[in-house]
Amino acid sequence: MRAQNLPLSDITICDFTAVWAGQTVTMYLADLGANCIKVENPYIWNPMTRAASPRLDEKSANLIAPWMGGHPGSDPGPRPWNNSPAFIHVQRNKKSFTVDSRRPEGLEVVKNLIRKSNLIADNLALGTLARLGLSDDAIRAIRPDIVILHLPAFGLSGQYIEGRGYGAHIDAVAGSTILRGYADSSPVTNTQIFAGDYFAGLHGAVAALAALRHQRKTGQGQVIELAQLEASAQMFPQAALDGAWNGRAASSIGNRSIEGFVPNGVFPCSGTDRWIAISCRDDAEWAALREFMDNPRWATDPELVTAGGRAAAEDEIEARLREFTANRDRDQLFRSLQEVGVTAGPVLNNADVCNDPHLAATGAFRPLPATEDYPAVEWLNPAYRFSESDVGIRSEPALFGQHNDYVYRELLGYNDAEVEEYRRLGHIADRYDDAVINA
Amino acid sequence: MGPLDGVTVVDFTSHLAGPYATKLMADLGARVVKVERPGGDRTRWAKPFLDDRPGIERSGTFQYLNTNKESLVLDLRREGAGDVLLALLQGADLVVSSFTPRQAEHLGMTYEAIRAIADRSMLWITNFGLAGPYRDYSMSDTTLFAMGGEMFSTGLADREPLKYGGTAALLQCGAIASVAGLGAIHAWELHDAAQLVEAPLFNGQLNNVDRRSAAILAFRFSGRIQERPPGPGSGLAGGVYEVADGYVEVTAAGGNYWQRFVAMIDDDALRDPIFASPAAVAIPEAKERCDAVVYPWMLTHTRADIWKKARKVHAMVAPLYDAVDLFNDQNLRDRGFWTEIEHGESGTLPMIGRPYILSETPWEIRRPAPRLGEHTDAILSELGFENQAIASLRADGVVA
Repeated sequence: MRAQNLPLSDITICDFTAVWAGQTVTMYLADLGANCIKVENPYIWNPMTRAASPRLDEKSANLIAPWMGGHPGSDPGPRPWNNSPAFIHVQRNKKSFTVDSRRPEGLEVVKNLIRKSNLIADNLALGTLARLGLSDDAIRAIRPDIVILHLPAFGLSGQYIEGRGYGAHIDAVAGSTILRGYADSSPVTNTQIFAGDYFAGLHGAVAALAALRHQRKTGQGQVIELAQLEASAQMFPQAALDGAWNGRAASSIGNRSIEGFVPNGVFPCSGTDRWIAISCRDDAEWAALREFMDNPRWATDPELVTAGGRAAAEDEIEARLREFTANRDRDQLFRSLQEVGVTAGPVLNNADVCNDPHLAATGAFRPLPATEDYPAVEWLNPAYRFSESDVGIRSEPALFGQHNDYVYRELLGYNDAEVEEYRRLGHIADRYDDAVINA
Repeated sequence: MGPLDGVTVVDFTSHLAGPYATKLMADLGARVVKVERPGGDRTRWAKPFLDDRPGIERSGTFQYLNTNKESLVLDLRREGAGDVLLALLQGADLVVSSFTPRQAEHLGMTYEAIRAIADRSMLWITNFGLAGPYRDYSMSDTTLFAMGGEMFSTGLADREPLKYGGTAALLQCGAIASVAGLGAIHAWELHDAAQLVEAPLFNGQLNNVDRRSAAILAFRFSGRIQERPPGPGSGLAGGVYEVADGYVEVTAAGGNYWQRFVAMIDDDALRDPIFASPAAVAIPEAKERCDAVVYPWMLTHTRADIWKKARKVHAMVAPLYDAVDLFNDQNLRDRGFWTEIEHGESGTLPMIGRPYILSETPWEIRRPAPRLGEHTDAILSELGFENQAIASLRADGVVA
């Protein structure tokens, strides 16, 4: 109904992205209305792009952490690439077609797609596109005004060009890993998280949106190099500048605040593994918390009126707060603290999020119909709402090869005989080749 | 010339998320007019300070988040602010705000109020959105991370959940708001569509692909809960290892990654076929024998040496850097990750540089973060206010 106001309604993307950073860049652009064409190869399994593995039984899936192994009903079925929770949700609003770009007639199809594209996005292993015959120069020879976005881990120049890594390794070099963890333990006890992928992906989208605007205004394309390390390292400017300006190498302070909020931490609540985060962002919030606790003697020490005074007694305050919260209900405490002006938030797990009353009331989720590969469930909407543009889930996540007909016939104009030939040669497929599945 | 050349953003945001959203635009060429309340953005008082000496022009956090912006101080509560607001909004391609719904109602800065003045798009960054039971609740980086779903599964099973370092959650949400804001600019330029774009921080965290959005879908699919692991690492080798001069992160689970890891260590003891089998993880003796080779090797090699060996064989291994390492890294310097600003009061200072390289319309620092009210007079003149009118606005405390 409002599709005419899509911010990127005039943009087509040739999408060679993999893993998370790349696949989320094109997800944001597809959410904003770009016609995003995902290039998939039935003869190549791209690690960490559609599932943990092309052949996955129920038992193995359950040994893999839920974010990656939590397939529908814990059973991936015959096409795990179409129902991995880690990867299927980033395929929304995209179209998927298959081609073996390594063969000449396959490369021709890709070139025809590039001819129609405003942007080509790539974070395949370094040099993969060039080996296919798609160097930057070759791409520009096909479409001179194209925007080319590369998302290498550590950059396309310099000593680290051969470095390989996922989010965890990028987080390590970006200075993220050393800043988290329990303050009383070494980083060796750190468990992996991968915010670097997310942050790099967002920056890729920002750069692409800017370059696409410039392209629309001036007809000029360009090459964007986004080293995921350099985007991810922007996540900790306070620490980085304390290092650059003052020579200080910050280490982990656990759940305490670098903004001078005291107390600031995570405290246990009644029940099993239930926690609440509390931040007193100023002295008034502390006064409100103290009052909420009925002004216990320990909290009325005049030294504690200021953040500086509280910082000197932070261990003690945290210990007392743990006693206070331990027998209280997490969600009631959250609401009550907020009502009296104390910043608090429940530590929600993935089940809690699905049952959160605020998210339900504000339309954070929306149902999508079942397919052969996954059941009808509620999916998370994009993080933002546009009042006049239909930015949201307009089409369900693209299954592998789902849009072969659209891409070959409608978009690229191949006729029946040609399509039949591409099918016969194995370019057009709706599943991975047996050789890939049984590898 | 930046790719956003010609875009004017009128920016009412403060603190971290909003200013990061508009910094990303300013550094790519947009003109960002930062409208500060009297006294200035509270981030002017955020650590770290240059030489550890506090001062409103000495905050590294503020300097980083406000490069390329202009500062105008406006007291929206004063009578007379309306004329300035009108002139500002008429020249805007995008208005960005981070007022809470209550503040916006109080200050006349709701989207309805903005539209009544000028038909412009507004990116409104809120804690929890403009409706719903949590609408008026406050938020910190820690509570945001807690509610975003990832804290629960970060840390160790027998201890409390852990947050991220710094204020990562807020900056992540600033970046996602920037994507939304740029979408609004595209819609405005392409379709003349003026609109409200809401970017609640809560939703920004939930959408983090860092296990969160995936874990949420995993629960819908399978009912499984993403929990904190009992210990770090996985497989025969993996996780953070102590080395001669610090730590490295290792991924070696899986056939190919294990082979590359073995090539990096280059000790025949690890080439025993027992280790190559996926079942080896479940054999305690295999794990012990592996550790007996790997731990001493790690402790006798430096981070730089290990990373060099890892890169050579494409092993998934990288060093843990701290801020000083990041600043001193010659490769990052050579590539231009670090840049400099010319700060009016403090001379030349190092600054974190570009997150990306654009070949034709480069990321660029045109000016350091503005001093408080540095551009008030110039902007007002440009908007058509006579000197006398400006003086009178100053005298009335409307601008500063």
